[in-house]
Amino acid sequence: MAINLEDDILQDFLLEAGEIVELLSEQLVVLEKTPDDGDLLNAIFRGFHTVKGGASFLALNSLVDVCHKSEDVFNLLRNQKISLTGEMMDVFLQVLDEVHRMFNEIKSGADPVAVPELLIEQLLAMQSAVTDTKKPATVRKKANKKSAVKKNKNIKQVSEQFLSSKGDISDEEFENLLDNLHGAGAAPKAIDSEADSSQSGKNDQISDQEFEELLDQLEQKDKAGALGSTGVAKSKQGKIDDLITEEEFELLLDQLHGKGKPPDKVVAAPSPPVARPAATSGVRREFTENKTETTVRVDTSRLNEIMNLVGELVLTRNRLNTLRETFEDQRVHKAISTLDLVTADLQNAVMKTRMQPVKKVFGRFPRVVRDLARSLNKEIELELRGEETDLDKNLVESLADPLVHLVRNSVDHGIEIPEVRLKAGKPRQGKVILAAEQKGDHIILTISDDGAGMDPEKLRRKAIEKGLMDSITAARLDEKGCFDLIFLPGLTTKEQLSNVSGRGVGMDVVKTRITQLNGQVEINSVLGKGTELHIKVPLTLAILPTLMLQLGTRKFALPLSNVSEIFELCSKKISVVDGREVILNRGRASPLFYLRKWLLKRNESELDVQRDAHVVMVHAGNTMVGFVVDQVLGQEEVVIKPLDKLLQGLPGMAGSTITGDGNIALILDIPGLINAYS
Amino acid sequence: MVKQDMPEQLQCVVFTLNHEKYGINVMQVQEVLREIEFSPVPGAPEFVLGIINLRGNVVSVIDARTRFGIAPREYDDKTRIIVTRVHQQMMGILVDSVAEVVNVMRSEIEAAPNAGHSKTSKYIDGVVSKDDSILIIVDLNKLITML
Repeated sequence: MAINLEDDILQDFLLEAGEIVELLSEQLVVLEKTPDDGDLLNAIFRGFHTVKGGASFLALNSLVDVCHKSEDVFNLLRNQKISLTGEMMDVFLQVLDEVHRMFNEIKSGADPVAVPELLIEQLLAMQSAVTDTKKPATVRKKANKKSAVKKNKNIKQVSEQFLSSKGDISDEEFENLLDNLHGAGAAPKAIDSEADSSQSGKNDQISDQEFEELLDQLEQKDKAGALGSTGVAKSKQGKIDDLITEEEFELLLDQLHGKGKPPDKVVAAPSPPVARPAATSGVRREFTENKTETTVRVDTSRLNEIMNLVGELVLTRNRLNTLRETFEDQRVHKAISTLDLVTADLQNAVMKTRMQPVKKVFGRFPRVVRDLARSLNKEIELELRGEETDLDKNLVESLADPLVHLVRNSVDHGIEIPEVRLKAGKPRQGKVILAAEQKGDHIILTISDDGAGMDPEKLRRKAIEKGLMDSITAARLDEKGCFDLIFLPGLTTKEQLSNVSGRGVGMDVVKTRITQLNGQVEINSVLGKGTELHIKVPLTLAILPTLMLQLGTRKFALPLSNVSEIFELCSKKISVVDGREVILNRGRASPLFYLRKWLLKRNESELDVQRDAHVVMVHAGNTMVGFVVDQVLGQEEVVIKPLDKLLQGLPGMAGSTITGDGNIALILDIPGLINAYS
Repeated sequence: MVKQDMPEQLQCVVFTLNHEKYGINVMQVQEVLREIEFSPVPGAPEFVLGIINLRGNVVSVIDARTRFGIAPREYDDKTRIIVTRVHQQMMGILVDSVAEVVNVMRSEIEAAPNAGHSKTSKYIDGVVSKDDSILIIVDLNKLITML
C-alpha cells in the first residue's frame, strides 16, 4: 500500500503515535524497575493498542502486526497471567526500536518493512507462557455477522479509534462488507470506502463491539477474544444503547490519557479515517462542550516567524530609544517609554511560547543508560533532576546530541565495573545525575557521576603523546587546564576503540556545539571520586545582550556574558612576556590583543592607538584575555542575524546585527577569534 | 550553452563592467542600490566586499570585477549594487553602472566564444548582438552556486 505523505490522517497518526512511542520507551524503562505496577502496565498496553488502531486504519499492516502481538503480551501482563522477565524487557525494547524504524520508513514515504520473524516468534512465545489460558467465550462471535448486527448489547470499552464507529453504515452494507472482507482479507481501508459510499444509510448504527470484532477478523487474530474480555471487564455495565454517549467518551479519554489532559489533536481530528466524511460531528460537538481545550498545537515555524518579527520590533524600539532624545514633546517620550515596556514584555512572552521542559531531552536518557550499562556489565542508576526546567525549543534540540555523548562518557569512562567499585569502597551501583537548573538568564546543565574521576597527569601525558600539545605548554597547565584537554580532537585515554567511545572525536564536537549556542562547558573532577560537567547556555538564541565596541569607524559586538571588566588602557601596566604583550590587572597577567589589528583592514588599522583606548577583559574558556578597543559604546541587545552561506564559518564571526542606528555590527565569537588570530 | 528552461523572451537588466555590457534575468533582480556603503567582514574571501543592511536583512555584497577577473577600480557616482534574489537567497553585486532593461529573444542568444576568460566562461550563458554591441548574458544561478 502506497504511503501518501500528503494524507492529513497519516500525518496526524505519525504525530500522535510518534508521541505514544516516545512515551512507551520511557515507560518500559520504568517498568523494568517496577514490573508490578498495574497502572504502568495498563498504560503501556493502551499505548500499543492505540498505535495499532491508528496503524490499522492506515493499512500499515506490518506495524499493526507487531503492535497487536505486543499488546497481547501486555494484556496478559496486566492481568497477571504472566510476569515480566529481563529477556522480555529486551524483546520489548527491541520491538520499540523496530517500531521507530518503521515510523522513519513511513516518514520517508516508504512502506514499513515488517519486523524480523524472530521477534514475532518471541512475542508469541511469551504468550504461551500463560498457565491458565482462558478462552473468553462470550465475546467472540463467528464470522457470520448477520446475527451480530443487533442493537441490544452492552457497550464495552472501546479504544478511541472506534468512537467514530457510530458512522453511517447500515446493517445490510455492513453485512456485505463482512462478506467481502471475508473473502478478500482486505485492508481496513476497505471499510473506509464502504463507509464513505454508504453515507445515506444512516439507519442502523454499528455497535462498537461489532466493529472491534470486525477489526480482529481482519487481522486474523484468534486472540481477539482476549481483547474483548478485558474490554468487558472495563466497560460501563448496563449500557443498552449502541451509541457511545458523552460520558463514555469522556471516560474513555480519561482512561487513555489520564485525567484532565485530553490531547488537543483529538478535537482537531477526532475521527480516525473510518467514516471520515461521516457524522462524527455529533461526537465532536459533545466532546468540545464537555472538555475545555487548554492547549493549541502550533507549528514551530510559526513560532519562529513570530520570534523574528518580535526581534525586529525590539530593534525598532531600540532605534526609537536612541532617537528619543531628539524629541522634545513629552508625549512622545511617554509613548516611547510605554512601547519600551510593552515590547520587553512581548519579547518575554514570545520566548516563553517556545519553551519546552527539558524533560523532552531527558526522556531518552534512561534508555540510553540502561542499554549501555547492560552492554558494559556495569550497574548504574540514572537520576534526573530539574526536568521541569524550561528551555527554548531550539536549545532543547541542539543540546540533545551533546548531552547524550556526555552521559555515555560518564557511563563508559566514568563509572567503574562493580568489582572495581567494591574494592574502592564504593557501592556496587554507580550513580549518574543529570540535572537542569535555571540561573538568571542562563540554563545550567550538570552531568555528574561518582565514578573514577579524571587524572590530570594522565591527560597531560596523553596530550603530549598524541602530539596535540607540546610538552612545555602542557607542563604549564593547571588542573583545570588538564581537564579541558579532553576537548581536543583526537584525545582519548582509552587504549582500544569501542563502539561507544575511544575515537577521540566526540568531545570536541560537543564543545563546538555548545559554543555555537553561545554556551560554556566546565569540568570538575576528583580522581577516584567522580566527575562533574557543567554546561551553561543562555536562555534564548535569537537575542543576545552585547557590549558594543568601536574600532576605527566600525562597530563590533561582544557577547556580554563573556565580558568581565572594562578599564582604560593607560591606567594599567603592560609587560612583554615571551614576546607577547600582557596586561596586569588585579594581580593577574592576561594576554593583551589589539582587536584593530585583527579586524580592520590594513589602511584603517594603522592609525595610532588612541589615548583613551579601553581594554575589555573577557573570558575565553578558562582564560581571561584583554582586548584593546578604541571605544566602548555600551550595552545593547541585538538580534543575531546569521551570516549567509558565503560568509558562514568565518573564524571569529558569530553573526551580524543591525544596531540601533541602522548600521551593521559584526558579532564576535571570542574563542574563535582568539584561535584564529592569536 | 543556452539553458533549456529559458522562456522565449528574456528581459535582462544590463550592467557594465569595464565598458562591457552584461545582462541578468530581470526576474532575479530585486532592486538596485545607489548607496555604496558596506561593512567589511574580516576573513572573508577577496571578492566579498562586505555586508549591508537591507531593510532589516543582512545581505552580502560581492565585487563583480574581482569575480570576473577584472582589476577593481574606484567607485564613482555611477557605481551600483544590484541586489539579486535566487532561491530565497539574496546577494548584492557591485557593478560599474546599471544601464537599462532590454528584451532578448532566446533565438538571438549565441554560444559564447571561449575566449580564454576561464574565470568568466563558467558564468556565461551566451552572447547577444544588439545595436552594434555585444551583451553578455550571465547565468546568475551559476554565479551564486559556484561561490
